[in-house]
Formats: sequence, structure tokens, C-alpha cells
Amino acid sequence: MRPEALRRRDLLASSAMALVLAACAGPASLPPPAAEAAPFFTAEEAATIAAAVDRLIPPDAATPGGREAGCADFIDRQLAGPYGRSADLYMRPPFAEGIPQQGPQSPLTPARRYRQALAALATYCRNAYAGQEFAQLPPAEQDRILRGLEAGSLHLPGANGHAFFELLLANTMEGFFADPIYGGNRDMAGWRMVGFPGTRYDYRDYVALHNQPYPLPPVGLAGRPAWHQPA
Amino acid sequence: MRGIVALLLLALLGGGARADEVTRGRYLATVGDCIACHTAPGGAPFAGGRPIATPFGTLRSANITPDRASGIGGWSDAAFDRALRAGIAPGGKYLYPACPFPYFTRARGEDIAAIHAYLRSLAPVGNPVQTDALPFPFDIRALMRGWDAAFFRPGVWHDDPAQDAAWNRGGYLVEGLGHCGACHTAKNAFGADETRRALQGGLLQGWWAPGLTPAPRTGLAGWSIDGLVAYLRTGSGGGQLASGPMAEVVERSTSHLSDTDLRAMAVYLLARPARTEVAVRPAPTPLAGEAIYLDRCAACHGRAGEGTAGLFPALRGSAVVQAPRPQTLIRVVLEGGRAAATDAAPTGAAMPGFASLLDNDEIAAVLAYIRNSWGNASAPPRPAQVERMRGSPG
Repeated sequence: MRPEALRRRDLLASSAMALVLAACAGPASLPPPAAEAAPFFTAEEAATIAAAVDRLIPPDAATPGGREAGCADFIDRQLAGPYGRSADLYMRPPFAEGIPQQGPQSPLTPARRYRQALAALATYCRNAYAGQEFAQLPPAEQDRILRGLEAGSLHLPGANGHAFFELLLANTMEGFFADPIYGGNRDMAGWRMVGFPGTRYDYRDYVALHNQPYPLPPVGLAGRPAWHQPA
Repeated sequence: MRGIVALLLLALLGGGARADEVTRGRYLATVGDCIACHTAPGGAPFAGGRPIATPFGTLRSANITPDRASGIGGWSDAAFDRALRAGIAPGGKYLYPACPFPYFTRARGEDIAAIHAYLRSLAPVGNPVQTDALPFPFDIRALMRGWDAAFFRPGVWHDDPAQDAAWNRGGYLVEGLGHCGACHTAKNAFGADETRRALQGGLLQGWWAPGLTPAPRTGLAGWSIDGLVAYLRTGSGGGQLASGPMAEVVERSTSHLSDTDLRAMAVYLLARPARTEVAVRPAPTPLAGEAIYLDRCAACHGRAGEGTAGLFPALRGSAVVQAPRPQTLIRVVLEGGRAAATDAAPTGAAMPGFASLLDNDEIAAVLAYIRNSWGNASAPPRPAQVERMRGSPG
């Protein structure tokens, strides 16, 4: 059998699988998830992620950074839950090298990819910075490392640094903009920054009011602080 | 030859008269909404077996198709009349007032006979129903003899010559076959109507049926005759939508009645004396309740509780919202609701349930706000009441 034929067969099989999975999943209407009891990260991992998300979304005068907005907590809870276990993905071989449009094809769950990459990053930092951890480095050095991972020019021992950076960046943005019930977007900081009013249903009263700020504060699935003010 | 023609003519006339009576009986059975209780979910119409929850236990409705073995095929006209107007079925079996014979007793004999003619015209359905399902001691039907003596006032409706034809027709339907008070009148500890508070609102199966007197806050004061007719005809009128048990009443009964009869019922209800309301000052509205209302309710019900005609009920001035007992309100917020779907208004607008989105404190706060804003005034519900409704709405 020619290699092209094999690849095409794999492609067909995987598209069929994708269709089946899409049909099974249906529209998601799950109740709000409870916070996972046990955190996923070790103390050192948590410190590294908290430092990294604050470099990916640094704080400024108007908006808190990734750390204060809870992105690290969001990622921790996601990795401790079904996402971290790839619970909704088909995770059996063969694991072919996919084309970019096919998305991640890693045999590793996100939890294992974080664990592996964070261990490699810790080793790298201890070797390169005289035993220091990532979180202890000055911001400029942290940026240098993150840029190196992003460009693929900095190689981590035993982990795909570029893929890890892409994963971390995506999860950080998810944590910054997802509903606060998932642990990130604390005080709806991400929504306030972009002016997103949250889970509101209807804007008929405002549709015709052009070039005026929308007056209502953002609201999440579990409400907003004003819901619990005393009478 | 002439004799045969005369016989044929007689038979035709006779048949026509019977057909007329059956048609009239079908209409009157629709007024009484017999089909609602006497049909099990998914079961054959009128074949009984629907569970009816009462404070004394759960009953099952009887099979009233003309099946001889399991239905009422063996009943004479007189036996049927005695059951409906005196509450005693053949064999001296006393009926529970879950079958509203205390109302049907107001109906005229020819109307009861017409209903019987209609039921006899149906196809018999064999469906044995165990109607004696109440727990001890309520399974002793002879107890109903005492109940009847204490609470049952038999007697046909008498027209009031001082009132016009519409008022009298409306009263005949409301107080008789329509049995509005079965839900809209409060019950005493024995399950009998508190007649002094007739049609002032009642609690049944975890629903508050609002008052039907023209009282300002808890009744029909804001309603017009046209609004009431539209509500009963289409399920939507007066800024309100029929939902819960009333949606079923509209779908199966009132939407099929003549305009003359609906108008008569509205005339009668709006002309009755208004319930004397205790003056209630609006309770302070919690800021939290206002915030929740703005975020979760205002999109449909409007910033000022004004609603949208035919789609979203108005909360401002609503008798359900200001009911003395907040059960219906709590229940609708928890479970959501669906309005009646009728030929005239087939959509059946729906509201989602908020049981998983709002906690007890939040629901109590938003209901306190709704019950005391825009001119509304009524006691704020307590979070514990919400918790109880979560467990067992009935």
C-alpha cells in the first residue's frame, strides 16, 4: 500500500470519528461545575504557572493581570477535572502526526503535558539560573524564556516547549474570559476590560442608542456582587 | 304506507332530537371539563385512571365511558343525575368531593341528562380503575355521609330576576358546571369550600389559584370583560397568560366555549362583591432583589414589570404575583412554566426554570422585589419557603 493511500485512509477514518463524536456530544447544557476538591498543581508548579500567566497578561493601571484575575486557578481546576483527563476525547492509538487543521493529536492528556513540561522547565531554570525557580526570576528573564518557547528556539529537556507554550497561552486566555464560575475572570476583570456585559439575555432597550456606553455592569452565570448586598 | 312514512318521520325527528342532545351534552361536558380528570396521561379519553393528589391521599378518577363492566354503561339517567347532583353513585357509593358534585348540584336536570347522553354516545373502553385508593380512614366512603351533612348544600341554581340574562347565565356556569371555586375557593380542614371566602383564591396541589373577585391587588379589579373573555378563549388576556393548571382548563375547556357564555362568565365574575383586602404597604425592596430582577427577569418581563402582551405576563398589578401565598410564584421561578396553547394563540410561550441558577436567598430576594415594586404590595417570601417548594411542590 502506498503511503498516500494510508494517510488518506487515516484521514477518512478520523473525519468519520469526528462526526460520530460531534453527534454524540450534542449541545452542551451541563450544570455549573463545582470546584474540584483536590488541586492539580504542586506548590512549585502553581507558583510557576501564576508567574507565567502574569507575564502573558501583565497587569496595567486599568486591568488586573492573569495572576490576579485567577487564570492559574482556572487552569488548575481544569487540569484536575475532565479536561485534564481528556475525558471527552478519543484517546486510543494510533496517534498519527496530524496536520494543523486536525488540532492536537498528542497521546498525552493536558494534565500530563503540563506535568511533563513544567518538570522540564524547572530543570531548565535550575540549570540555567543557578538553582532558581521560574517564579523567582525577574520578569525580563521570564519573558525571555516564554519568548524562546513561543519561537521554538528554547528547547526543554524531554518536552515539546513550543506546544506547551501554545497550550498555556490558550488556557490563560480561556481563564481570563471564561465565566467566573470556572475560577478565572475574577470579578469579571476580563469582561470589564473588553466591555462584554456577560450573560445578559436581551438588549432591546439599548439597540437604538448609538455611541452611548452600555450602563449595566457585567453579570456571570452565578450573578454579580450586587446580588448579595444586604437589604 | 302512510303509517310507515309517519314512523320514519318520527324516527328521524327522534334521532335528530337525540343528536341535538348529544351535541349539547358534549358542550356542557366541556364546560365541566370532565375529560381533564377522567383521562389518564396517555390514556383513552374519559376512561379514567388519572391520579388526583388530595390532602387526604391520591385518588384515581373513574372510567366514565359506557363500558358496562368497568365504566358507567349500566347507569340509568336517574342514577347518573344522583351521582352528579347528590354525590351518591349506584350501590349507595358516596363520591369524594374531588368530583365536584357540590358544584354540579347547581346544574339543571336537563343539562345533566344531556351530559349523560353524550357520554353514552362514546365508544365503551374497558379500563377497570381502583377508585378506592385513599388510606385509612378516608377509604371508608360512609364517612362522606357526615361530610355531606356538614358541608354539602344541594340545590339547583336559581336565576336572580334583579340581574340580566348574562349575569344569570354566567352565575349558572361559574357556580355550577364550570366549578371555578374547586380551585379558586379556599378549603377548610375537611377539604370543603370556605363558602364565606368564595372565589377569593385558594391553594391546591402546590398552586395558588388567584382570587376571581374584583379586588384591586389579589383579584380581577384591573380586568375588563373583553380581557377576561380573551384570557379564557386564547389563554392570553389582560396582560396575563394562563399557565400551570389553568393552562389545562383553557386548553380543554374554556377555549371551546361560545363567546356568549365566556362573556356571561366575565360579567358575573366582575359584578360579584370584591374581597375586602387588608391594607398592605409595600415592604422595602431589597437591593439584591432589584439587581437579580434586572439581570435575570427584566429582559422578558420589562424594567417596570410591564410584560409583553401575548408573550410575557405583566408582573405589575398581577394577582398571582401579589397572592397572599407565594407558592405559585416560587414554583414558576423554580420550574419555569408554559402558557396555554390554543387555536387562537398556538405558540404556548414558555419560561425557563431557575432552580439551578438561583439559590433560595436569591429567589426570596427577587420575589420580595417583584411583590413590592411598581405599586405591588405583598409579604416577602422567606428562603425556607423556597427550600420547601424545591423538595415537594405538591
